[in-house]
Amino acid sequence: MKPNLKKALIISTVALLLIALVGGGWRYLGTKTFVRTTLSGLTLGSLFFMVAAGLTLIFGLMDVLNFAHGAMFMLGGYIGWQTYTNPTFIFGLAPSFFAFATGVLILPAIKSYLINLTIGEKLQKAIPRIAYVLATLLALIAFLKLNILDLADTAMVAITTTATSNPLMELSAQEPLSVYWFRPLLLLISGLLVAVALAKPGDKTEFAPKENILPKLILPVFMLVATIIFVFVRESAPQAILLMDGTWRFFLSLLLAIGFGFIFGAVIEITLIRPLYVRSFFIVLLTLGLSFVIREVVQLLWDPLAYQMVRPPLFNQPGKAANLWDWFQNHNSTLDIFGVTFPSYRLFIIALGILMFIFITILMNKSRLGMIIRAGVQDPEMVEALGINVRQVFTFVFAIGVALAALGGIGAAPFIPIQPLMGDQFQMQGFITVVIGGMGSYIGAFIGAFILGMARAFGDYFALKFSLSPAIAEASTVIIMIIVLTIRPSGLFGKKE
Amino acid sequence: MSDNKSTQDLLVVDQIQTYIGQFHILEGVSLKVPKESITVMLGRNGAGKTTTLKSILGLTPPQEGRVIFDGTEIQGKRAFNIANLGIGYVPENRAIFRALTVMENLKLAERKRGDLNRKADFIFNLFPDLKRLYKLPGNHLSGGQQQMLAVARALVPDNKLLLIDEPSEGLAPILIQQMMEAIRTLSTTTTVLLVEQNFIMASQLAQRYYIIDDGKSVREGKMSDLVKDEKLIHRYLGASIKSIKR
Repeated sequence: MKPNLKKALIISTVALLLIALVGGGWRYLGTKTFVRTTLSGLTLGSLFFMVAAGLTLIFGLMDVLNFAHGAMFMLGGYIGWQTYTNPTFIFGLAPSFFAFATGVLILPAIKSYLINLTIGEKLQKAIPRIAYVLATLLALIAFLKLNILDLADTAMVAITTTATSNPLMELSAQEPLSVYWFRPLLLLISGLLVAVALAKPGDKTEFAPKENILPKLILPVFMLVATIIFVFVRESAPQAILLMDGTWRFFLSLLLAIGFGFIFGAVIEITLIRPLYVRSFFIVLLTLGLSFVIREVVQLLWDPLAYQMVRPPLFNQPGKAANLWDWFQNHNSTLDIFGVTFPSYRLFIIALGILMFIFITILMNKSRLGMIIRAGVQDPEMVEALGINVRQVFTFVFAIGVALAALGGIGAAPFIPIQPLMGDQFQMQGFITVVIGGMGSYIGAFIGAFILGMARAFGDYFALKFSLSPAIAEASTVIIMIIVLTIRPSGLFGKKE
Repeated sequence: MSDNKSTQDLLVVDQIQTYIGQFHILEGVSLKVPKESITVMLGRNGAGKTTTLKSILGLTPPQEGRVIFDGTEIQGKRAFNIANLGIGYVPENRAIFRALTVMENLKLAERKRGDLNRKADFIFNLFPDLKRLYKLPGNHLSGGQQQMLAVARALVPDNKLLLIDEPSEGLAPILIQQMMEAIRTLSTTTTVLLVEQNFIMASQLAQRYYIIDDGKSVREGKMSDLVKDEKLIHRYLGASIKSIKR
């Protein structure tokens, strides 16, 4: 059979089935119940997709099953929520972060000089180690006096900030500049040492032509300027941000979660995962262990409590909007859809999931990076042979995957309680989604996520209606996975092996 | 090695030894590839020809020995670094990216923006078929078309050296002819190191030959001398001799 004809047949069968399901469900349940359940299904599906998207990208290119993905989702939620409620935490750490980044980012500029040094073999191995130890020591000294718990603690109180009262000031009196400045300085030196270690002085396995280093200095200089600026605004900025319109603050925290996820992912990939590609099984153990570490750190910083994030004002005005346009003008907390009262924030979650899908589609099909990813999924060796630094691409994809998870975390935060385990159930569903959709296929993940979301929502409804155990709804996703795998062992959109 | 000679040889492989896992695949291969010529590596299956190409490119880095390309030592460098010095690779299995269209396959090989635009005319002159297939995904191509694309991909950037592994494998005779013409045209502007089982094709294309046997380079010389030496052919190439007689 011609592939096109086969495709058309499959699509039409699926379409007919869908119409039958929707029509049957609509008649059987009645409009209200059906619409309500479908919308919750879409919300859940969107959340599943936010986790599954990064998982499937990372798995497709590097065969890495990231068991810390749920923890990274959770971390994104915490970071975003912290920014939203009390940016002191972010601004207290920002100068140190930028100072460290200045040091590390000097790497491309100094690399060619360090690599071409002639150093004995013993010294060549010793220099990076010494540099790492010194860098760690300096960083420890720098953070010795910082009460990081204080920065994180004020989160709940900060909601009461107004133009006249600033609870931040009383809560965490900041160190004066004369004490503060040495911390970024130590971290700058620490970052420089890390750069030296990463450059591997005397290592001749890479070429680094001695070209013009000025353009390579732009980024470090930019970071240095950022460091200085953030040192001076570290006290005034948090209040300024808290006085901002809540909606803008919310979008700012989304952006920050993305940026945080990206940097966190890149650091994890370079430092922990990269040495283990040759022993892929260890990566599973590593990421699993990492998820425990992240969870414990979060519990230390924010206590093992569940927090509820206040919805941003865009989705929090009293009253019910009659339609989408009405909501757009009044920002009501609920919305009328086919006679069903539906929280408007859930529509935002659905939209966020779809936006992520569109972003990934464009990234994969229109950009050079997407081309490299699609090629690398099949044959990374040949991509390298074309002169492309595959290692760097791996880092980038891992970083994007984690950034998507972190965005999912803060996107979900106003909808589900923020607690150290908030990512775990989504990670489980994310894995099932990836398996159903086909390992490595983002389209499969998108469709799989919505199938799972629907199964959960309708499963919950029927369990309630026939007073069955709600465990049935949870099991339904696994049952779907089993059915799909029996028919198509490589998943809906997976490549046949 | 005199200075004069090193400028003539684009690539010098000096006694490289390569292990893959536990296996000692190359136990001392030496090659010299003169500029703007075609050099062919001959040998039985499993003799280590493909591994030699991969060792030059750094895909299976040699543990011992030296590889000198255009005056720089490149052994132990990473593959993408080596490729960026100007080495194109056409692997044995063609390794066309199935999920990418013909255009994207070529575009991916760009090292500088606009490489493809500069080279498009040259490539489509060599392989007119590719122009017609431009928008088709790689998995829709026939074996011959894939082979053309694989060679074309190595032509997109300005490569000084092309490593071509079995370009005639699995091709229909008429396509072999076309491929030979293409490679001959290439060798006027760039240097080619070829691995070829098809002795007729190899003997008509190459100026120099190396015989690899059991992971060692055992013989070298002018192609015109080898064609006359049936004993040598029989000893090292075995079954290949039948294809000459036919």
